Amino acid sequence: MIIIVDALNRHEYSGLLDRMFQLRAQVFGGRLGWDVHVENGREVDQFDALDPGYVIGVNEDGEVVSCVRALQTTGPHMLADVFSAILGGEAPLRSPTVWESTRFCVDTKRLGLGRGPGTISGATSELMIGSLEWAMTSGISDIVTVIDPIMNKVLKRSNNAPYDYLGETTQMGKVPAMAALLDCTPERIARVREFSGIDHDVFANESQARRFSDAAPVAKAEKATDAQMQSYLEEQLAEADTARDRAAALRTWNELYARGLVASRPPIPALSSVS
Amino acid sequence: MALIDIGLEQTSSATLQDFLVKLCERLGLEHAAYAGMDQSQGDIRGFVTYPEEWVRHYRENNLAKGDATLHLASRSIAPVDWSRIPRSEEYDRFLDRAMDFGIPRNGVTVPVRGPFGDIGMLSVSMSGSADAWARTYARVVPELQVAAVHVHDNVVRAFASPHPGIRPTLSAREVEILQWIAVGKTQRDIGSILAISDRTVEVHLRSARTKLAALTTAQAVARGIKARLIDPE
Repeated sequence: MIIIVDALNRHEYSGLLDRMFQLRAQVFGGRLGWDVHVENGREVDQFDALDPGYVIGVNEDGEVVSCVRALQTTGPHMLADVFSAILGGEAPLRSPTVWESTRFCVDTKRLGLGRGPGTISGATSELMIGSLEWAMTSGISDIVTVIDPIMNKVLKRSNNAPYDYLGETTQMGKVPAMAALLDCTPERIARVREFSGIDHDVFANESQARRFSDAAPVAKAEKATDAQMQSYLEEQLAEADTARDRAAALRTWNELYARGLVASRPPIPALSSVS
Repeated sequence: MALIDIGLEQTSSATLQDFLVKLCERLGLEHAAYAGMDQSQGDIRGFVTYPEEWVRHYRENNLAKGDATLHLASRSIAPVDWSRIPRSEEYDRFLDRAMDFGIPRNGVTVPVRGPFGDIGMLSVSMSGSADAWARTYARVVPELQVAAVHVHDNVVRAFASPHPGIRPTLSAREVEILQWIAVGKTQRDIGSILAISDRTVEVHLRSARTKLAALTTAQAVARGIKARLIDPE
C-alpha cells in the first residue's frame, strides 16, 4: 500500500523515511552506481531538505518496497541542477502543473519477477498509481521523472510507457539516466490498473497508516533534546537584529532541520502588510 | 470572464486585489487571499478579498502566528485542504475568530515555491456543505495552481528588491515552439514538425507561459517578441 509522507506528517514517519533512505542507498549507491552520497547506509541529498513529498510503497510487514520523491518545478529541483546534463545545458521546465519526480526505485531484492502482489512489476504499478492519483488530485497535469533504462523498460512493459522524453539519455555512473514525461490522467491510471489488476484504493487507510507510523515511546525520548535545540535556535533568531544575522540564524536552523536534528522549521515571520 | 493579466500593468496592491476578486467570480468562490513569505526579509506580504474588519483584526492581533493554513501549506508541495489541518487549541481559537468575521470554513491553500527559496500561498474559500466543496475543489484546483504561481511571480517581481530582473530562462525548445506559434502553426502542426507528441508541445508551452509570467499563449508570444526571444514574422 501507499503512504504519502511530506513536511506535514514526516514527524510521524521517521522510521519509514529512514527505511526509505536505506532503500535509496541500496539502489542508487549500490545497484545503479549513481554518484550519490551515502552515509551510514542512507542516501540523503540536499533536495530532501526542501520538504519534498514522498510516495512510499510499503508491504504488509512494514518494509519499504518502493519510493519516489516529488518536487515542484517552479522552485529548486533536480533537473535544474544535478541532472542538468540530461537537458544538455538547456533550462529546465518551469510549470505550476508539472511536478518533478526523482529517486524512483523499487526493492528488487525483496520483490520477485512476474506479475501481481510482491513483484517488481506489481510494486512499480502500485507506486505509479499512487503517484499519479496524488498528483492529479493536486491539480498536476504532467510529471517529469528521472529514471534509468531498466525502470523505463518496466514502465513500458506495465502499459505505462512515458509519452515522451526530454533531452538525452545521459550516463550517471554505471548506468544512464533519462527524463521521461507522464501525463496524470484518468486514462493512464486506468491502463496501469488494468495491466496490474489493482482495482482497490492503493492508499493506506487510517489504521494501516498508524501501524507504519513511529512507535510513541522512542519518539518521546528524542523530543527532549529536540526541545533544547529548538529553544536555542529561537533565542538566536530573537537576538538577531540585522537582516544578515537573521539570515544566518535561519540558515543554521534550516540546516539542522535538513539533517533531522530539529523537528520543525523556523517560525513564520510576523505579518507586515496586508492590502 | 477572463482573468486580467497582472503582469501587463504596473503590478500594484490594487491590481493584485482585483485579480483575486476576478478569480473568485470566475471560479465561483467566496474569498481568495495571497500571502508571500520572504524569510530573509522576515515578513509576509498579503493581498486578500476578506472584509476589512477581519484584515485589521488579523493584523492587530498578529494572527499569522496561529494561522495553520500558512504554517503547514508553506512546507507542503501539494495543496492543503483546510479540513486536513490537525486541530489544536490555538487553531480552534483561530477558526472561531475567523467564523465571527464571516470567513468560510471550506478552503484550500495552494503553495508556490519560487527559484530563490521564496514561498507564496494562494488560499481560496467557500461556504456550504463539505460535499459541494469537494466537488468545487476538484474542479478548480488545476486553475488555482496556475493562478497561484502567476500572483506569486508578479508579487516577487514587483516587491522583492534583492533579486530584480532575474527571470527564468527559456529553453531552445520553448523558444522554438513559441516561434512556430507566432507564425500561426497549431500545437498539432508543431508536434509533427518537431517530431514530438502534442502533449510535449503543450508542456513546453505551459512552461514558456510561466517563465514569461503570461496567462495565455498570445500574451507569451507578445512578450517573447518584446524580449526579442522570437521574431514576429
